[in-house]
Amino acid sequence: MKKEPILSVRNLKTYFYTEDGIVKAVDGVDFDVYQGETLGIVGESGCGKSVTSLSILRLLDEKGKIVDGSIIMEGKDLLKLSEEKMRSIRGNDIAMIFQEPMVALNPVFTVGDQITEAIVLHQKTDEVTAKKMAVDLLRKVGIPEPEKRVDEYPHELSGGMRQRAMIAMALSCKPKILIADEPTTSLDVTIQAQIMELMKELQREYGMAIILITHDMGVIAENSDRVVVMYAGKAVEYAEVKTLFNDPKHPYTWGLLHAIPRLDIEQQRLYNIPGVVPNPLKFPKGCKFNPRCEFAEEICRREEPELKQIEENHSVRCHFWEKVEEAKRAEVGERV
Amino acid sequence: MRSETKRILRRLLRNPSAVIGFSLLIFFIVVAIAAPLICPPQSYNPYMIPIVSWDLTPKPPSDGHPFGVIAGRDIFYGIVWGTRTAFRVGLLVTLISTAIGLFIGSIAGYFGGWIDEILMRITDIFLSIPYILAAIVITSFLGMGLNNVMIALVAFGWMAAARLIRGNILQVREEQYVLAAKALGVKNFLIIMKHVLPNTIFPVLIQASMRIGSLVITAAALSFLGLGAPIGYADWGSLLNFSRNWLLGASGEAFKYWYAIVYPGVTMVLFVLAWNLVGDALRDVFDPRLRG
Repeated sequence: MKKEPILSVRNLKTYFYTEDGIVKAVDGVDFDVYQGETLGIVGESGCGKSVTSLSILRLLDEKGKIVDGSIIMEGKDLLKLSEEKMRSIRGNDIAMIFQEPMVALNPVFTVGDQITEAIVLHQKTDEVTAKKMAVDLLRKVGIPEPEKRVDEYPHELSGGMRQRAMIAMALSCKPKILIADEPTTSLDVTIQAQIMELMKELQREYGMAIILITHDMGVIAENSDRVVVMYAGKAVEYAEVKTLFNDPKHPYTWGLLHAIPRLDIEQQRLYNIPGVVPNPLKFPKGCKFNPRCEFAEEICRREEPELKQIEENHSVRCHFWEKVEEAKRAEVGERV
Repeated sequence: MRSETKRILRRLLRNPSAVIGFSLLIFFIVVAIAAPLICPPQSYNPYMIPIVSWDLTPKPPSDGHPFGVIAGRDIFYGIVWGTRTAFRVGLLVTLISTAIGLFIGSIAGYFGGWIDEILMRITDIFLSIPYILAAIVITSFLGMGLNNVMIALVAFGWMAAARLIRGNILQVREEQYVLAAKALGVKNFLIIMKHVLPNTIFPVLIQASMRIGSLVITAAALSFLGLGAPIGYADWGSLLNFSRNWLLGASGEAFKYWYAIVYPGVTMVLFVLAWNLVGDALRDVFDPRLRG
């Protein structure tokens, strides 16, 4: 039986019209999100992960425009909705948590005020009930003494606590989709694990879908069901998490996985992908990864590859994906 | 919340200039409220300084007239009732012009783009017209009188607040909590009111409190030029206007009529000083960036 996706993004293109030229921050991204599942979006800094998430909520600033594509949620194209309708979707159907819990809460209001704001806004309850709900939510996200914490200001909470409070705020209206933009990047490692565990628990309880944006392959491996790998604004590989880690097809994915330090193999020096992410104003011709790719040939410099479906639930954007497989086999052979 | 109030009070009391500023201000407020007790009104309109003598030469301080007499009018009475005028002009003009500035500045800053462009160019046009000159033109156009002076001061007094709030909003607009609020589906109006203004309003309030003082000077300048309050109205600027002819004293006695200029002048200086010190104190206490 095939599941229906709760959100499907097709050929999303978001450009920024700056004074220096057009920045193609997102230039062709496709993925599906299923209920109760986590979709990971992974890539280096500046590859368009965050812009993708802001495009889904249509929260780009005035320079950014979604020029093409569709974002279908339950049969509706979010890109065609009026601003009014879109606003009722934000927070209600799709909620978002941010990278920096230190700055994502308003410093002049108490934590409780900010959670109640969201509840009153979407659920049409009165302030007193909303405040009770806020306390319950804080308890649910594991904040000790929620009755006391609800009246505290953000600066009185630690980073982990603030991220928990952000999650409570995002969950206040039981969204169908939660977008988490690098939710654990600014937290230390033990807190990271706790927050990810909390999100998984809440996902099970509410049955919501999570879009997890990160540059951390470890977080992806542990927490997601499907993964989109992005490079220079494009989705270069899309697969289930096991497939991606065991059988990467795109040279970029292969490089990313290679760059993870491993204890089971002796390495002299950690592998890194040569070069840097190209300047978005001066993307190379052809495949955008070609200057950094060890498999690149003439055609890669000339023609941009299409996103090809090579197996069920596995697509890749590369002319020579078979070659990556061969190289990998050779390497595994060497090690054995 | 109560500990916050306590903390603010403690900080204010520890700051000597804040204590001076607030004491002066409280003193002026008491004088303004108690004006009918200090100087019982003697005519139908208490704001008109009663005429005590038909002799126009100033008379030095005496028992009945502690600050002396000028143009036949009691200076003490003028100063006491003039306190009310000063508060009325300062507070009303500042309140209205700051409100206009906040409205225009926050719309420009929050929405940005062409709305910002248009509103800020209008602001520039207003800023390019000399303030006093514009006020003179408007009052002579609308006719003399304190209310018209206030209209003129409001019409040309909102730009500083607009620019200040716009700049602050441009900064706060990029904060993640504003994005977070948008991501929760909060309406633009509520975002401005709840998330942007509370984080940007303090510099504007501080600037406003300092403007109250300087506005009184401007209003006095207009009165001095004969554009403000009608002759005999209890207004510090009008008192100075009376003393204009006596500034140089008499031959051989340069300071003969010192009381005509010193009492209204010192009152005005103290009033402005009070507001400036209060503004400084407010900044020290409330500015989130200076918070320890």
